[in-house]
Parts: sequence; C-alpha cells; structure tokens
Amino acid sequence: MAAPAAIALGLAAGSLPDDPALAQQILAQLRGPRVAAAFACGGLLALAGVLMQTLFRNPLAEPYLLGASGGAGFAALLGMAAGLAWPWISLAAFAGSLGALALAAALGGRLLARDHTPLLLAGVMLAAGFGALISLVLSIAPAERLPGMLFFLMGDLAWADRPGLLWVVLVVASLAAFTLARRLDVLQLSPLKAASLGVSVASTRWLLFALSGACTALVVAQAGSIGFVGLMVPHALRRLGLVSHRILLPAAALAGGSLLVLADALARTALDPRELPVGVLTALIGVPVMLWLLRKP
Amino acid sequence: MMHTYMPLAARQFLLRAGRRVLVESLDLSLASGEVLGILGPNGAGKSTLLETLAGLLEPGDGTVELDGTPVMQLAPLDRARSIALLPQDEASGYFGSVADYVALGRFPHHDTRLDVAPWLAAWELTALAQRPLPTLSGGERQRARLAQLAAQEAGIVLLDEPLTHLDPAHQAALLRWVRDEAGHGRAVALTLHDPNWAACHCDRLLFLHGDGRWQLGTPADLLQPAALEALYGPDTAALWARGAAAQPV
Repeated sequence: MAAPAAIALGLAAGSLPDDPALAQQILAQLRGPRVAAAFACGGLLALAGVLMQTLFRNPLAEPYLLGASGGAGFAALLGMAAGLAWPWISLAAFAGSLGALALAAALGGRLLARDHTPLLLAGVMLAAGFGALISLVLSIAPAERLPGMLFFLMGDLAWADRPGLLWVVLVVASLAAFTLARRLDVLQLSPLKAASLGVSVASTRWLLFALSGACTALVVAQAGSIGFVGLMVPHALRRLGLVSHRILLPAAALAGGSLLVLADALARTALDPRELPVGVLTALIGVPVMLWLLRKP
Repeated sequence: MMHTYMPLAARQFLLRAGRRVLVESLDLSLASGEVLGILGPNGAGKSTLLETLAGLLEPGDGTVELDGTPVMQLAPLDRARSIALLPQDEASGYFGSVADYVALGRFPHHDTRLDVAPWLAAWELTALAQRPLPTLSGGERQRARLAQLAAQEAGIVLLDEPLTHLDPAHQAALLRWVRDEAGHGRAVALTLHDPNWAACHCDRLLFLHGDGRWQLGTPADLLQPAALEALYGPDTAALWARGAAAQPV
C-alpha cells in the first residue's frame, strides 16, 4: 500500500516547468527512470539485507558487511582518479564489489556448513582494508575530483542509468529468494538443527551469499554505497513481527524500495536546486525510525 | 499402534576428535521400540556419536546405515523424515512464535502450515503458542524444542541431554513421551548424566569412556559402583548411593 504512494510522491516531488509537453518529457525521461531506479535499488538492498541477516543469523548483518561496498568504492575511486567515464566506473565498481566478495569467500568460506564466523571475520577485515584504501585514494586524489568521489561513497541515484536492468534483477532475485523462504525459516535455527531437518546448510548458505552479493554489487555499481536501507528495513520489519520469510522477503523489497524513493525525493528537493547524496537522507530518516522501534520492548 | 520403522545400525564405527580416538570398533544397532541411554564423562564423544548416527558427520571409520543404506548417502529430506536429532541449545536466533517454531519440525514433510496444536498440547505449550520464543524460560524453551522434534515424526529419535532445564514434572513428561514413542515402534537414543534415570527408564546402556573404550549392556549389568567409577572417576559412585547427601563431611 505504501509503495504506490511513495512512487507517486517521488514522481510529484520537485518543480516542473509550466509547459505541459516539457513537463511530460521531464517525467518520462528523467524523473520516471530515476524513481524506478530508486525503488529497485532500495528493494534490492533490503532483500540483500534479509538474506545476509539470515545467512549470519545476526540482526546486525547488512549487505556491505563483507566488503561489497568497500571493494566497489575503491575500484570506482581508482577509475575516477584515472579520469574514466561513467559506464567504466560503474563496471569497475561492479567488478570491485564482486572481487571483494570472492576474496572473502576464498579466505573464509571453507567451513560455512558449520560455522559462519571465518567468513564473517574475513569479510569484515576486507571491508576495513578497503576502507583504508578508499581513504588513501581520497587523500591523494586531485581536489576537483573529490565531490564526485564523495557522492559515490555516500550513494547517489543521479548516476543510475539502468533502471530496466535493476528491475529485472529485483524481480528475479525476489522470486529466487521467495522459493527459498521455507528453507530460510529453518536456517534461523542452528546449522546442526537445520541440517537435521533436511536443509543442505552449506549449499543454501552459498546460495544466499551469491544472491545477496549479486544484488548488492549491482546496486553499488549503479548508485554507489547507499547506506542503511539494507540494515534498517529488514531489522525494522522483523521487530514489527514479520518472521516468516514468505512475508518478510516481499515486505522488505517493497519497504526498501519505498524508503529509497522517499529519501531520493527529499535528496532532490530539500535544498533545491542543489542535490544531496541520497545516502545521507536514508540515514537521517532511518536512524530516528530505528531508535523509535528499539524503544519497544 | 506399532509401526515398523527402518532400523539404524553402526558397524565397526570409529569416532575421532582431532587426533584423539573417542570410540573404536563400535557395533551398535537401534532396535525398534528400544530406549538406549548413552553415558560418559564430558568430552567423551556423546554428542559427536549422536551427530554421526544422525548422518550429519562422517564417522572416522566404519559405516552408519539406515535399513542397509549409508546415512551419508541419503537425500537430506529423506534422512530427516527417518532420523530426528535434538542437539544441545539451538533455540537462540529464532524470534518467531512458539507455534511457528514447532511447525518448523514439519519441514521434512513439506507441511509447515499443518496445525501443530496436538504437539503444543502434549508439551503444555498451548497457552504459550503465540509468545515469541525468546521470551520463554529455559525449561519452556526446552519443551518447545521437544515439541518441534516430536512434530518431525521420525522413526529414529536421537536426544542430546534432553533433561536439561526440565523440572521434575516435565522430566516425567519427557519420560512418558520417550516410552510412548518406543511403544509406537520408534527407537530412542539419549545422552544423560543421571544413572538413576538411566536405571529406571532405559532398556540398554552405552558407556563411552572417551579413549576408544565403550561398554554396551543392560542397566543391571552396567550400573554398578565399580563400573560407574571406572567411567566417571574415583569417588563418584557415592553421588548416587542411598543417603550420601545425609553423611557428615
């Protein structure tokens, strides 16, 4: 219910010229695709967040936990420092994100059937390492490139030029995750108990890792490291009592999409004509909402 | 009503923890309708034995077979319909209701939306059905775990320290359930630390010494002071001797 309202609001937000033809052109060619991209990115991040939290059986897990955004950020910043144009930066970010995840899997994934801690530690270490590399690039990059770099690191939907691709992946990933829903419910139990109930723990966990990794890598390649959606949306929905993945997964995709459309509408209009990075808005909206939810016992 | 369930048998079975041999050359079959108690000191391999019998861990040597098929070769869901395992403390991490938690026991049967009211009632969880699992006490959670296990309706039931956290009334309920399951033709193996309970309610006992040695026999044969002290160490038999607590120090 909230999703169509958020999309309508996203389309309406912002000024339009009086000329109806021009206004229509802006809606169809600029604002429409951007709202579509925002919704898909938010949905993908929230979906990836649910999968990561179930993979690690931890409500603090989120899509960027294992270095998916660090790797993307480092690769994208290198591309920007070298003066590459957008599609190449996007590809670099995609490759950097998948590269970081592959490294985490290679270093920490051996015992995933029984224990997810090595993967978690390897990923967190890699994320920290990429964070340091990003700081390094920022500190030596030419000053005129810094604003673009910062917008990428905070997340900005002005880059996103492939809403169609984002939507295809959102639909495919949602359906794939939905078919796993019952198994994910069982995976909330210990690995041993889940295995005794007939779930192939290792292969299901690798599937979760690959699915959430693909969703996350695509989003960061399109819109940079938009924070907080992937952590807050699944966690908030769980706190509201959605536990069964058959409900949680679609709810997260819709709520994440709606939240990001709203945040982006604010990012475009709050300081009009200046645009803010949308990642700032997701945190500014998300933190109070989350703190309010935590108040409940 | 007596069912016939597929029998589970371990042959020339070896268990290791790292390089240490825990159990060597064990031949064990779980007969339909039997309750087997497994006793041994901490670290003797009781939990490892149950996991291996459940087909979740490859034995160091030898085989575990369900009706002649090695358990490691069974499809996971087929295995789960035949063998149920209650591991120690797995309830954390689940935030849903007690009823949803118990319904997960139906996963191997593909009907997690089946009405689980009978199992809730059997474990006195009806009033707690809609409570989130983490808000339950330790004993209530243990009952929820047992109800989930019962809902799995497997022919081989492996319980790792099922008496943990249960008050005497619910220990009695567990005993009734174990006897009931055996009466229906299931085979039950459980680990425990209470020789009195083992003496009263188990048909056969398996002692694991943790160094490769093991003993298999009836409670009357094995539950002797000398055998218990050989298993647990000197001066432990006094723990279960009549009136031991009343003796002045």
